Amino acid sequence: MRTRQNSAEWRIRRGERGWPECLVELSAVDEEEPEVLYGYGAMDLLAEFGPDRTVTIVGSRRSGAYGREVARELGFGAASAGLLVVSGMALGCDSAAHEGALDANGATMAVLGGPAGVPYPRSKEPLYRRILASGGAVVSEQPPGTEIHPSFFPARNRIMAALAGWTVIVEGAHRSGTQHTVKQAAQLGREVMAVPGPVNSSLSELPNELLSEGAPVVRDAQDLLDHVLGPGQSRVRGMGAELEPALLDVLIAVEAGAGTCDAVAVALGLDGHDAAVTLARLELMGYVAGNAVGRYSRTQLTPPIP
Amino acid sequence: MIARVQTFTLLGVEAFDVSVEVDVASGLPAFSVVGLPDAAVRESRERVRSAVKNSGFEFPDKRIVASLAPADLRKAGPGFDLGIAAGVLVSDGQLPEDAIKGCAMAAELALDGSVRAVPGALAMAERAGELGLEKIVVARPSAAEAAMPAALGSQSCRVVPIDCLHDLTYLGTTGEPSYSPPDSAPVDTTPHPGVDLEELRGQPALRSALETVAAGGHGMLILGPPGAGKSLAARRLPTIMPPLSDVEAMEVLRIASVCGQNRPHANGSGPQRAHRPFRAPHHTISPAGLVGGGTPPRAGEVTLAHRGVLFLDELGEFSRVSLEALRQPLEDGEVTISRVRHSVRLPSRFVLIAATNPCPCGHGEDSNKCNCSALAAQRYRNRISGALADRIDISLSIEQPSPEALAGEAGESSALVRERVVRARRAALSRQGCANAELGPAALREHVTLSREARKELSSGHSRFGLSGRGHDRVRRVARTLADLAGRDEVGAQDIHGALAFRRRNTK
Repeated sequence: MRTRQNSAEWRIRRGERGWPECLVELSAVDEEEPEVLYGYGAMDLLAEFGPDRTVTIVGSRRSGAYGREVARELGFGAASAGLLVVSGMALGCDSAAHEGALDANGATMAVLGGPAGVPYPRSKEPLYRRILASGGAVVSEQPPGTEIHPSFFPARNRIMAALAGWTVIVEGAHRSGTQHTVKQAAQLGREVMAVPGPVNSSLSELPNELLSEGAPVVRDAQDLLDHVLGPGQSRVRGMGAELEPALLDVLIAVEAGAGTCDAVAVALGLDGHDAAVTLARLELMGYVAGNAVGRYSRTQLTPPIP
Repeated sequence: MIARVQTFTLLGVEAFDVSVEVDVASGLPAFSVVGLPDAAVRESRERVRSAVKNSGFEFPDKRIVASLAPADLRKAGPGFDLGIAAGVLVSDGQLPEDAIKGCAMAAELALDGSVRAVPGALAMAERAGELGLEKIVVARPSAAEAAMPAALGSQSCRVVPIDCLHDLTYLGTTGEPSYSPPDSAPVDTTPHPGVDLEELRGQPALRSALETVAAGGHGMLILGPPGAGKSLAARRLPTIMPPLSDVEAMEVLRIASVCGQNRPHANGSGPQRAHRPFRAPHHTISPAGLVGGGTPPRAGEVTLAHRGVLFLDELGEFSRVSLEALRQPLEDGEVTISRVRHSVRLPSRFVLIAATNPCPCGHGEDSNKCNCSALAAQRYRNRISGALADRIDISLSIEQPSPEALAGEAGESSALVRERVVRARRAALSRQGCANAELGPAALREHVTLSREARKELSSGHSRFGLSGRGHDRVRRVARTLADLAGRDEVGAQDIHGALAFRRRNTK
């Protein structure tokens, strides 16, 4: 887990130590490089993770369950593989990507349209606090006290695109903010990847079009990691709910090869009924799976480290 | 003069009244038996003739007609011999008419005049009692069986055991033989000695599942490689089930009696045991052997397992037709066999235990010893679906216990487990009047109250495991039993978890 940072606001000027070099490239494509970045949380994230270890995961605000689920899985997979997950903390896909990264106890950074001190949208204030508490960061180019203006949002998209070497489009319609991010990333020469979606959903217009133009396909976090880190460099592990010690003991027993209720009970000296109950709870949580004949095995899901 | 003796014929598992009427009249010597007799009954003429002659009586050289009424009921078996002989002797005046008054008879005659036991003495004695008859005359080896209805408090009559035809001369006199049960209780409802759950070692979950099955009467599927102890466990299930009530004991004994399963003691003494039966037919059994059939209809394994356990080992090897035939007994608790002349209803309320290997070779697809194709393994498991599937509430995968566990301490004994089972079953009976396994969808709604957490867990099980409607019901039934075992009125989350762990998985 990352150490908790001082929650005081910081600022960093262009050219100062710790300024993300990758932002310089914005000026090369006739975009304005920010003068100053204001932020809360871990300032060193900016320098610590270069674009080669950062992914931006964005998608539609009015996303469906599909988009949120995928964004969450991608955020989790990328963060648990040690990548920085950047997104815009907007409703829908953006927030899901942050949450996934947080569930993996990984690093995540939110680039806000308005000032960094104001959680926006308001409903995402819990997420905002969670990002800061986890050792992540919230940054913005707007000085404190600025009134939020709609034009800020397309502008911050260029920062998200520039910070990361890879941008993944989860969902998005034509003429959306997401499309704007795609344009910026492409101009910067960053790789844009897309998650395929149903062809009759307007939310999948943008990713499906990108795919037809030859963008790499991201079907799951493994695809993403294969692109970013090289094929097979890192295996994705899923995320799970927290486990009480009794459940963890049984999980470890299954991992060690106990495939039946009897074997678990004998290995841990449990009552047969208790072993069965515990296995059923783990199966409900997705940590173990029973096959057709009811033998248990471990799934990909990992429990959060207590 | 016409002599009338009450006898019985067996159909299904019941005794039907047959009145033997014998007329000995002057005329050309002849001996005929009328009234739909089968071959064994027609041959009884020869046995009766010799037995009468060799017992110190005289066989009348007259025209003898023995009529078995009602005339339209097909009579089978040698059980009428004694009745016909007695009728001949009374009609001929060699025995007083009083001797056979209020008397039922059931025995086969040997040529030398000795009598032999026939199947169904218990059912016949019971029927004689219902008819209000005073006594039933049987061969001495069947006496203990015939005395059973009285011992279990059914309406009954006196049992007169005889050794030979000549003993009929004592009937109605002070020298009339009588049967007195041995001092030990004639009906012993304690389970089979020498078979005890304590021998099940190192398999705590299997024990727990068996206890649940015993308490709720649920059907169970045990999956495991050869040598994992599937049969050993199933064989011990009757020892932890609630003891038979008198009515149930009577049903079990009647079936055993009619089907000739009671091996009578030669001296007519010794306790007859009324245990919950355990039947384990081989997988090559025919459908008729399993559910009953033939002409006249005979009870099959499902009826012999009534009130007990039917164990189908190697389920995957049973023919599909045989398994499909189990549908009616499993759903209705009885088998109806219809013939042109009659239909017979055979009770068949049993607990089903099925055992199977995980795949044809037995090692399981996960094992590196397994060389079965995925398709073959799936086809093997598919046998479980269909008729049986709905009745299997509990399924458990087991493996061979470790040598240390086998050498370790003995587990809890049957007697201890049975105490808990009896308590749980009593709770179920006082709540809904039947075992939990028999709860239908409406009864489930009425009698199975789930706590809030339990409802939540069930619905998350529903979404994660894709439980079907019936799968849902099965989980609730088993959870009800787990709650009964724990003494809870309301089904809690842990009961739902336990039931989910024991759920039958989709084998497709």
